[in-house]
Amino acid sequence: MNELKDAKKEYEETPLPEELDGRVQAGIRQGRAAWARRRWRRGFTAVAACLAVAVGALNLSPTVAAAAADVPVLGGLFRILTVRNYEAAEDGINYQVSVPEVEAGGNLADKVNEAIQEKVDSHLEKARQDWEAYREAFFATGGTEEEWGDREMDVFVDYEVKSQTDTQVSFVVTLAEGWVSAMEEQYCYNLDLAENRNITLEDLLGSDWVNICNTAIQEQIDASVDSEGFTYFFAPEEGGFTTVDETTSFYINEDGNPVVVFPEYSIAAGAAGIVEFEIAKA
Amino acid sequence: MAQLKERQLVTFLVENQTRFYRLAYSYLKNREEALDAVQSAVCRALEKQDSLQEPDAMRAWFYRILINICTDVLRRRKLVTLIPPEALDAGSYEDPLPSDGTLAERVNALPPEIQTIIKLRFYEELSLKEISMVTGCNLSTVKTRLYSGLKKLRIELKGDLA
Repeated sequence: MNELKDAKKEYEETPLPEELDGRVQAGIRQGRAAWARRRWRRGFTAVAACLAVAVGALNLSPTVAAAAADVPVLGGLFRILTVRNYEAAEDGINYQVSVPEVEAGGNLADKVNEAIQEKVDSHLEKARQDWEAYREAFFATGGTEEEWGDREMDVFVDYEVKSQTDTQVSFVVTLAEGWVSAMEEQYCYNLDLAENRNITLEDLLGSDWVNICNTAIQEQIDASVDSEGFTYFFAPEEGGFTTVDETTSFYINEDGNPVVVFPEYSIAAGAAGIVEFEIAKA
Repeated sequence: MAQLKERQLVTFLVENQTRFYRLAYSYLKNREEALDAVQSAVCRALEKQDSLQEPDAMRAWFYRILINICTDVLRRRKLVTLIPPEALDAGSYEDPLPSDGTLAERVNALPPEIQTIIKLRFYEELSLKEISMVTGCNLSTVKTRLYSGLKKLRIELKGDLA
């Protein structure tokens, strides 16, 4: 049995990488966010029930009615509705799906709705294929039913309205897939329903928008370097950030500032997830 | 309540991170993949924290997540071989049971399901009951695999292992 003590000692001498603590912290952050999202989804039905009660209350209390006048969701040129909303478990896949739709006159809303619908459908289809491929590979390489056990995959579709005025709305649709690894995609929509067109970074920041964005983003990347010189961001020559352009994704936050969004792995290590930069308007 | 549990979980994860890394590394033998595995397992644990009913079972519950991730990586590696065979030197072929090498190396050469049990019992000092929770096998299967593993390693048994 002493031999096993030696083996244990040898095992415990495995050199530890410096990044370990950082990676554990990143895992904690990501996991917390994912957990919060799950809970939020589960709470959604409860919120809907509260809203139903609030509608009843509008007729009763002048205070509630006055307070409700400040809620921008009511009235205006448009509404954002949830057109598909379900939670289901099927063949080891847990679906949490909540798909938005813009209800407004004009063809912009129709185009956006169609684009969202298409993305959601292909996301669900891809998730099913990934899962099937994983399951096949699992058994093909000698995995047993016992080991397969409680494996499950999460497929997630959700949206969040980031800001809105009487005529404009900015919202983000999130598509995610989680099992052994997790991947997440976000699509941003910034609509001016009065003018029936997409809002651009130039609308928000003026003709110098490229420079304004690049400067602000570079500052935030530089600020992310820690005391040991470590940052999740890639250097420009390694495929890191160089410049924004017309295809750069963004949403508008409640202060009216654009927030530029980069997909996972695009300019930083996967551990950083989707990265965002708020750009202050001059 | 939930917050207290989350705090307990985070403390456990941070305090034992070196153990997790070593265990992941012992399966994957690759620094980057071991780091990825630990990060994924930590992320998964926080995300699925509601499935942890008994705080006492935290250790076994987390090892299960971590080991599942590691074995999935190994399984996918089997499926996708990136290195052409001729690029490997003879020493890197896996010998199912080398008679030489240190005991730790011989442990790593055992079949995965037996390896796991030896590592959890002797390196991580989990009880047989905890190991049965981690692996999803019943207690007698765990014992059988443990004894057969020790036999393959040619280790004399003294006393009860439980």
